[in-house]
Amino acid sequence: MLRLSRFVTALFALLLVTAALAAKVGDPAPPFSSVDSHGKTQKLADYRGKYVVLEWHNQGCPYTKKHYESGNMQRLQKEWTDKGVVWFTVISSGPGTQGFVTPSQEDQYLEKMHAVPTAVLMDPAGTLGHLYDAKTTPHMFVIDPKGTLIYDGAIDDHPTTDQADIKTSKNYVDAALTEAMAGKPVADPATRPYGCSVKYKGY
Amino acid sequence: MRLVCAIVLCLCCVPLSQGQSSVQAKHANLELLSTQTTNKSGDILLGVHFTLEKGWHIYWINPGDSGQPPSFNWILPAGAAAGEIQWPRPFRMQNSPTIADYGYHDEVLLMVPVHWSALPQAGSKSEIALDAKWLICREVCLADHTRLTLTLPISSGNKTNRASRLFAQAKALLPRPWPRQWKATAESRKDDFLLTLTTRKPLVNVEFFPLDPGLIDNAAKQRAEKTSTGAKLVLKKSDMLLKPVSELRGVLVIAGHAYQLRAPVVSQVALK
Repeated sequence: MLRLSRFVTALFALLLVTAALAAKVGDPAPPFSSVDSHGKTQKLADYRGKYVVLEWHNQGCPYTKKHYESGNMQRLQKEWTDKGVVWFTVISSGPGTQGFVTPSQEDQYLEKMHAVPTAVLMDPAGTLGHLYDAKTTPHMFVIDPKGTLIYDGAIDDHPTTDQADIKTSKNYVDAALTEAMAGKPVADPATRPYGCSVKYKGY
Repeated sequence: MRLVCAIVLCLCCVPLSQGQSSVQAKHANLELLSTQTTNKSGDILLGVHFTLEKGWHIYWINPGDSGQPPSFNWILPAGAAAGEIQWPRPFRMQNSPTIADYGYHDEVLLMVPVHWSALPQAGSKSEIALDAKWLICREVCLADHTRLTLTLPISSGNKTNRASRLFAQAKALLPRPWPRQWKATAESRKDDFLLTLTTRKPLVNVEFFPLDPGLIDNAAKQRAEKTSTGAKLVLKKSDMLLKPVSELRGVLVIAGHAYQLRAPVVSQVALK
């Protein structure tokens, strides 16, 4: 039985409130300011006019590995950044938890995996994660050029760790970006994200 | 010629499936169990017993915010077909304010009915194989898989006595049918569902486990209020819920007793 100190109780309550205020699809995406792995501050507001993808990431999670070891995530990053989409990989693992990396460790990982996000947002305090109510790795969000959240959920429709499932899966990120860029409504704007739980600090 | 015959004979003697009914996996031990000691029944119950290392868990059919339930692929003799996993009532696993999952700690027996359309011959043996895949987690998650095998019928003795106990314990944890004299309805409000339970007596310690993902917010506290005729439970809606739903399905646990719940949803007409 955990004995919650008053501080932790207050933090718990604050996090619950933050999660309760987390945006739903169709709402403006919560504005953020987050430091990337090169020390640069990235603000959502700076990218108004572009599509932005947020990809929650934990390199040790078997679901993340499914999409990286197969090259699937890198393929998505390359295809869409080539089309002008801003792709942020976000790491909200707390210090000492799985997925937590130093900036140089992350650079090494990106090089080894040939991953090409626009930037990697380092979120060890979990602020950005809680702002978006990111639950799993991977958990994908797509924001349109007007700043509206148009997709929140799973990367695809096969919630497994098997790479073999990728080729027969419907990729929700591809679908959302393709549909939105064609001026169509996103057919599946909110799906249940699958993966390992985000390893927030303190838990 | 004689040498060739001898070799062929030897190969025929090698069992086709070299397997085990008990396997040590990552942080878990799995056993394929049965209480079937004769060939006389066309309907049997098999069970996959997971014994988990302290702190590790596996998931319910609706795993909640993260995770994945075990999946079974049965390799059965001709004429036999496996049904669905009979899930014992789940337990809430919440390590953070915003993420809650449903599953099992310590140990769980997942029972599966098998139906034979034609009984095997008296005295014959049936080979059962199972390819099981699952996710097991503590602070990290591991995907694992194994093959388990069993030959039926099995001889009665200590093993079947232990298996019988495990099956009896698991059956006691299966959600029971909702009593006919009780009522359950849900009202869809702006941010939550109000589940009203009418059970003829006030209820305490009520907890709802949704069968369908994406309807309720798994991590939100379920505010329960006992009434003179039962209880009311406030279930916060999930952010993913964009369309109206007609029914809330799941497991309702009342002071440790689990029931299958299906509550029709009545939409509150929220016109100004």
